[in-house]
Amino acid sequence: MMMEIQDPVPLTVHGVLIDPNTDTQIVILRDTKKTEVLPIWVGTSEGSSIRLALEEIIPPRPMSHDLMMDVAEHLGFSFTKVIVNEVKNNTYYSHLYLTYQGEERAIDCRPSDAIAIAVRAKIPIFVMPEVLERKGSQNLDSWLAKLDSNAFDQHKS
Amino acid sequence: MNVRGLLFDPYNNAYIVILRDNNNTEMLPIWIGKSEASAISFALERITPPRPMTHDLMKTILDNVNAKVISTVVTDMKDNTYFAKIHLLYGDSEYTIDSRPSDAIAVALRADAPIFATGEVLHKQTSEELERWLENLKPEDFGKFET
Repeated sequence: MMMEIQDPVPLTVHGVLIDPNTDTQIVILRDTKKTEVLPIWVGTSEGSSIRLALEEIIPPRPMSHDLMMDVAEHLGFSFTKVIVNEVKNNTYYSHLYLTYQGEERAIDCRPSDAIAIAVRAKIPIFVMPEVLERKGSQNLDSWLAKLDSNAFDQHKS
Repeated sequence: MNVRGLLFDPYNNAYIVILRDNNNTEMLPIWIGKSEASAISFALERITPPRPMTHDLMKTILDNVNAKVISTVVTDMKDNTYFAKIHLLYGDSEYTIDSRPSDAIAVALRADAPIFATGEVLHKQTSEELERWLENLKPEDFGKFET
């Protein structure tokens, strides 16, 4: 029997929520059909970086992810896509892809950094189906709805 | 210049990276944020975190495109903001990228590349200001940065 290879699922950044009690922020990724929600907890600086990019705010001095974009632009290579490829012990893993001399390279990184680049570079973000399956069976949509109704900072994509 | 210290400034709730030249005659204190201070501290202590942090990713990207960090330079200071440049060798050409000093230092440490400061930026700080600043810091303010 042939195994069906599932395609990576495209996601968009729905918003970044701030947890006022902890030093963390939550990036909400949603699939285009709006059936799946993938919340990824990120640090304050990564979350802020993503929020700045979503709101298209250009800070007075280049932040770390702006610097990476500047390097790519100056040197002439480009970032092509992000794939959240694994989850282990509640830690998500991702690959940031770039094209260098016609060759595609996958760089292991945290999803927070990958997403911060993806939003700036306007490149697609995907998640492997098995990662979505493993995130748990809780009804994340109602959780998200509850968060939406609070005065959390968010960006509608 | 060399990174001689990393302090927490309780008055401003920020971190300070202290650069000094080899002769210890010049000093450049630069205020930076928490995540940049973490990045610098990890590099100084040669700690590899379980997952690559932002500046580890930056270094890996440079490695993947065969770009080499030649040097980083703190070039200027305007309105209490420091400016820096990262010099890269890519292919046969040299590229200069505008950067915050914190990012430049974090990358330089990971790339084992030298950090410089221009005479201009060093002279923008009068020795009077530095002495006053040093006087205001109490001994307990100095401490090893806790990651």
